[in-house]
Amino acid sequence: MTALGQAYFYVCATLALAGALGVVVAKNPIRGAMGLLLMILSIAGLFLALNAQFLAAIQLIVYAGAIVVLFLFVIMLLGPSAKTPSDNRGRVPRTIGAVVFAAVGLGAMGLLVRTAPKTPEGAKALVEVTNDFGSVDAFGRTLFTEGIVPFELSSALLMVAIIGAVAVARGRTKAEIALAKSPAEALRDVPVASPEGAPRTPGGITREAHQ
Amino acid sequence: MMALAFVLSPLLILALGALLLMLAEALTPKQNRAAGLALGATIVFVAGFAFSVGAWLYGVEDVAERELLAPWLVIDRFTIFFDGLFCLGGALAALLAGGYLREHGLERGEFYGLLIFSTIGGMMVAAAGDALMVFIGLETMSIGAYALTAFRRTSPRSAEGALKYFLLGSFAAAILLYGFALLYGATGHTDLVGIGNAIRAGGQHQTMILVALVLVLVGLVFKVSAVPFHMWAPDAYEGAPTPATTYMAAVVKCGAFAMLLRVLLTCFSDQGLMSWAAGWPPVLAWIAVLTMTVANLIAGQQESVKRMLAYSSIAHAGYLLVGVVATIHSMGTATASVLFYLLTYTVSTAGAFGALILCGRKGAEAVSYEDLAGIGRRHPAAALAFSLFLVSLAGIPPTAGFFGKWFIFRAAIDAGFYALTIIAFFNSVIAAYYYLRVLVFMYMREPAAGAPIATPMRSGYVATALVVSAILVIALGVVPSLPLDVAVEASEKTFAAPGG
Repeated sequence: MTALGQAYFYVCATLALAGALGVVVAKNPIRGAMGLLLMILSIAGLFLALNAQFLAAIQLIVYAGAIVVLFLFVIMLLGPSAKTPSDNRGRVPRTIGAVVFAAVGLGAMGLLVRTAPKTPEGAKALVEVTNDFGSVDAFGRTLFTEGIVPFELSSALLMVAIIGAVAVARGRTKAEIALAKSPAEALRDVPVASPEGAPRTPGGITREAHQ
Repeated sequence: MMALAFVLSPLLILALGALLLMLAEALTPKQNRAAGLALGATIVFVAGFAFSVGAWLYGVEDVAERELLAPWLVIDRFTIFFDGLFCLGGALAALLAGGYLREHGLERGEFYGLLIFSTIGGMMVAAAGDALMVFIGLETMSIGAYALTAFRRTSPRSAEGALKYFLLGSFAAAILLYGFALLYGATGHTDLVGIGNAIRAGGQHQTMILVALVLVLVGLVFKVSAVPFHMWAPDAYEGAPTPATTYMAAVVKCGAFAMLLRVLLTCFSDQGLMSWAAGWPPVLAWIAVLTMTVANLIAGQQESVKRMLAYSSIAHAGYLLVGVVATIHSMGTATASVLFYLLTYTVSTAGAFGALILCGRKGAEAVSYEDLAGIGRRHPAAALAFSLFLVSLAGIPPTAGFFGKWFIFRAAIDAGFYALTIIAFFNSVIAAYYYLRVLVFMYMREPAAGAPIATPMRSGYVATALVVSAILVIALGVVPSLPLDVAVEASEKTFAAPGG
């Protein structure tokens, strides 16, 4: 790796770490989302350095373009000043989570250090990735020749997701509005809390009469 | 190329039909919308079924162009059998939806689009020859089912069920994917045959393969809603509009079993993994015992018939798993018994949910046992249909359910699993209790004084669905030989390799 390449790596890696830290530390949710964006952009930069242009583009489109924007929408809907009530509940599970994540992270680092080739000869044992592996060109070729069958069939997956989104999110029809207002429907469908394992009170005609 | 299009035609017909239906809905005036969609969807499913039969008679073994789809899609008798089964279940669900949605003011065209595209997902799962295709098909099938569960948007119960189903289903899919990723890491293959050969050849990654097997099993068993991964099923089945429940209980469950059989018998049919000493059969046997027992005990306590049928569908997954475990003795026969059971279970369960639909009407859906009190005297036809399907679910001759259970038990006895067979038998006795309890309410109870009385709805669609299922239930119970031969051929030509 050239000196310039190394400098590029360190810049991207530092920015990614700073972004990740920002997500964890920031009190303001907008800043947190921005930290996430910074991290995603830096990781995309790292992918570029690895010759994985396609992955870099997908990283930008899917994560930065769709997911972070979705986060921002939700934050805007709730209002940027929305805060979770700060209480001490869940401190124990949170601590356990932090410890487990730290253990996994440190373990992965340890494994990496242990298995990383120490000498230039050892490094050669690793398979050298050819220049066109992961490039947009190579990826497109694979997708449209070998992988054409799953590629075409995933259109059915997208289709069902679109119809499903329309079915769930579309405005209510007149009949549904009338249905929502009818007291019978309102009564029938309130799920009744019941102890674990106990049979749930059913809805239906008879129960409406009892109410 | 024509031959290839022909053996793939059930899937293609459904895709084309769904697109045309959606176009037709968009182009019709607003007041007439969704009116003929149920009929259209039924025709699409019937056409898919007809083409499955055609492809079966034409024969798939000689179609050399199948190689073009390899390794992604495998078109064999097993696939074609499931194509036909899905189309049958889908047609019954579409007919029930035609009556139910209009009666309850839920009529929107998306229902049929979801129904058909979700079925296409099931067909992809049944035909999948690659882990990637398994996943794409599974997601297509499941996302359709999630949206169908949430279809009644005014109802918190529907939303609750859909959210549980969606979240748990996503986790299960992720776990399955982890399993496949580990399999790829251990074997270097994503195609199921390649994975199977690599595992048979043995190697240094035995532990990794075992971990992968556990993860894959969790994902698969979740989808067939077996205990202890069944928590989502009762809420999702109860919250969904009843035709969607029918679809989930029939088609989605069959799709899950197609996936289970395909993955286990292709990838994990290695001598070591497919034996009683170590591997998946003992695990699956315990899951089967747990599933049958727990589901039957809980089902007996339900007050809601719909929820009882949900638990009953979990219990049936348990019986089916007994058949899956029996594949270690004779792969072909045991698989055939599972396929035949799925066929009998599809028509019986679709009929039972259909009869429950028939017993209610707008603003007064029949749900609990009390709702059905006295319906046998007031509306004998509806009660008679309901009784027939419940008797079939309980496995009493001369209905379809009897031979379904008979072949599963025989396969288990042939394999030497006497304890498992006895447990399954006693479970079907417990199950008979809560099925017959519905009959007791229908024929021997009268509604409480002053309680509102359930009146059956009138719908040609629902009536047609019930008549078709009733004919099939009786036909399968009286002359099971033809469909059984088909099931045997589907299994033996596909999983010919001797197992265990």
